[in-house]
Amino acid sequence: MQRPDWAPETIDVERPSVARMYDYYLGGSHNFAVDRAAAQAMVAAVPEAPLMAQANRAFLRRAVQFLTNAGIRQFLDIGSGIPTVGNVHEIAQRHAPDSRVVYVDVDPVAVAHSREILAGTEGATVVQEDLRHPERILAHPDVRANLDFSQPVAVLVVAVLHFVGDHDRPAEVLRTLRAALAPGSHLVLSQASDDGRSDAERAEAQKVYQRTDSPLWVRSRAELTAFFDGFELVDPGVVWVPQWRPETPDSAEDAERAVFLGGVGRLGG
Amino acid sequence: MRCSWAESGGSVGEPPAGPAPGAFARAWAKALSGTSYLPMTHAQLEALLQRLTDQLAEALRTEPLDLRAGHRVASELVAAHIASAEALGRTVEVIQLRLVRDLDLVADDTADRMARLLAAIATGYARALRDRTLDEQEAIRRATLTARADAERALRASEARFRHQATHDPLTDLPNRTLFAERLAAVLDGSTSGVHRVGLCFLDIDRFKRINDSYGHQIGDRALVAAAHRLSRAVEPHLVARLGGDAFVILVERSTGTGDVLAVAESALAALAEPVLVGGHDCTVTASVGIVERRVADTSPDDLMRAAGSTLHWAKTAGGAGWAMYDAERDEREQARQALSAAIPGGLERGEFYLDYQPLTSLQDGSVLGVEALVRWRHPQLGVLSPDSFIGLAEETGLIVPLGAWVLAEACREAVGWSTATGEPPYVSVNLAVRQLRRPGLVQEVRSLLRRTGLPPNRLQLEITESMMMGGAEEPVRTLRALADLGVRIAIDDFGTGYSNLAYLRDLPVTELKVAGEFVRGLRAPEAADERILASLVSLAHALDLTVTAEGVETVGQAERLRAIGCDAGQGWHFGRPAPADHILARIR
Repeated sequence: MQRPDWAPETIDVERPSVARMYDYYLGGSHNFAVDRAAAQAMVAAVPEAPLMAQANRAFLRRAVQFLTNAGIRQFLDIGSGIPTVGNVHEIAQRHAPDSRVVYVDVDPVAVAHSREILAGTEGATVVQEDLRHPERILAHPDVRANLDFSQPVAVLVVAVLHFVGDHDRPAEVLRTLRAALAPGSHLVLSQASDDGRSDAERAEAQKVYQRTDSPLWVRSRAELTAFFDGFELVDPGVVWVPQWRPETPDSAEDAERAVFLGGVGRLGG
Repeated sequence: MRCSWAESGGSVGEPPAGPAPGAFARAWAKALSGTSYLPMTHAQLEALLQRLTDQLAEALRTEPLDLRAGHRVASELVAAHIASAEALGRTVEVIQLRLVRDLDLVADDTADRMARLLAAIATGYARALRDRTLDEQEAIRRATLTARADAERALRASEARFRHQATHDPLTDLPNRTLFAERLAAVLDGSTSGVHRVGLCFLDIDRFKRINDSYGHQIGDRALVAAAHRLSRAVEPHLVARLGGDAFVILVERSTGTGDVLAVAESALAALAEPVLVGGHDCTVTASVGIVERRVADTSPDDLMRAAGSTLHWAKTAGGAGWAMYDAERDEREQARQALSAAIPGGLERGEFYLDYQPLTSLQDGSVLGVEALVRWRHPQLGVLSPDSFIGLAEETGLIVPLGAWVLAEACREAVGWSTATGEPPYVSVNLAVRQLRRPGLVQEVRSLLRRTGLPPNRLQLEITESMMMGGAEEPVRTLRALADLGVRIAIDDFGTGYSNLAYLRDLPVTELKVAGEFVRGLRAPEAADERILASLVSLAHALDLTVTAEGVETVGQAERLRAIGCDAGQGWHFGRPAPADHILARIR
């Protein structure tokens, strides 16, 4: 008997999860020995890994603040991972309590954890879906119930695109998402880049992530910029994440050590 | 505590609450930056640390020293996600180095009080960090268990859904053939305890195609769904399965006798007979049911289904809108017929068929004008079979086409070798079935047969029945004309018992009428009606230039009368029974 295609995956905690590794980089304890071992191997290869995660998280915070100031009240956070310090709905709702956030992650443990954390929280929910199937995300009843796509929505694809290989056609994924958005919507992207890295560092980092549930696809600034096709890039464009609207000038120093490039685009019209 | 999602103070885009941070708080904030991810702006951090600085200063100034202040400050730091080993180290360092100096807190026992306060901060921090770690570990484990349970539940649900889809009909959601077969097998292999007798109602909606044809398939489907639901409600708790199309089957487990199953069938028929409107159309239907009821020990699923199918067929052929009960004898008879029909192709292949001939004798001079070919089957088990026992079957199944072709070819092959001492050898008369006549290519078949065998066309006569001319189809008429054009004789068989339309006698290239034997039987009584009919037929035929052969002539008296009437030829036991060609030819010579 053929297994039906809607049968869910099993939960394998023997494999490192990129969501729990990220939590470890941010100083959290929502992780297991296998995740910590992988994260430590990553740190051995790229000592800045925790710094990268922190810088990316700070970028997310600044981007969401920027978006709430721009009047955005709806957020679709794809690849939200383990709910950890400074989540989107906390940042957004502090400024605008009517903000609505839908978190999306493919990792069932991350989703279960999010669901527990979000129980009883107004305006925030989580669905289990895969960025590689944007049409399924857009059609998901919980997404439809919480977000009004006739109004501007901010789609956050932060620190997740590097887990989508070229064979999964990330540009097409983003096009599909864009097609569902109303004018005034925004796209926030950040992803690991190997611009300015040595070959040895690249190889080492690849090796670590090959062992995880999601191998790593680093990309150049030009590639990331191309992902904003159809959007108008908000100043300062695609930059190392600490350089994106820093709070203090010195916090943008040594920005390329952050490894993550990021940017925010606005859908005109 | 849900430390990781806790509020961390301050507001986005608003100035931080409280007094402006002093030099110490600013130094502390600088020391902490980069130790871990802080979900707040730098200004918010400085404001938080200014508040904690005030608490620490207050504690240092107050007598006696309240160590709980150190614990409190440490807890607040951890709660605000300033929760790394590095953050503790930097905090201890900056407090030790700068707090007393920056806030001008020097006193006699400052060193002593500072040591105790730092100890309290470190203790409180370690404790809070440990609690936070344990909470988070517990949370992620719980999430894993939940995710696993969800996945398993989803898997079970999808398996159940898959199982449901595999065992139910998507249109009506009734059990399908698969589930029905499973249940029936379970009942019959004894694994369903306490079941000794079982019944089936095989139900088929009568002429359902008409609903589809009249109102379209969408209405048809809805009518079918409505019928299915009424059916399953009416016969609850018995299993109703849709076998496909408009065929359903009801499984009656634990039957105590035919009465039980009959009652179920009647409920089903009554439920279906109720008026139904679908999309404003009257979709009321009737149905036919075949009922089988048996001891579990005496049957198998195949057996039961086959019997139910046959019984349904009886109900259908009886006109529908009712049930038929299984009848073993009838079934046996039909099965024997079925088996016989299935054996015809093999019999043809193995040469089990042969021809006998019966003479058509001139009533004028007693000469044999022709012979009628009559097929026989030397069946390996059943012995020699006359056409009555298999021609009907062959006509039903279409096997008459190959069988008829064989008879025609064999008759021509044999007839060409016949010779007589004097005069023309007799022609051979072969029966032609409707299906043979309607099939394209008959003319070509006859033409090439004549060419191949060398039989002169006028020595072949094809007998057709009146019924073949019914319906006024053009094609058979054209075929007959073409056959006549070849020079073949055409006879109407059994004339006077069926259609007897005189119009076609005018239009068709017929050469002879064969008058049915029942008129001849009536010739025993003088001046009987039959004789007058026969006399009229003969004069009519002669007026149309047709010859007349009387069938079923059994006595010399009948032969005499027929000759007196003017009938041309006779066929029957009086002139000779069917026999191999040799016998008949021997008599002629």
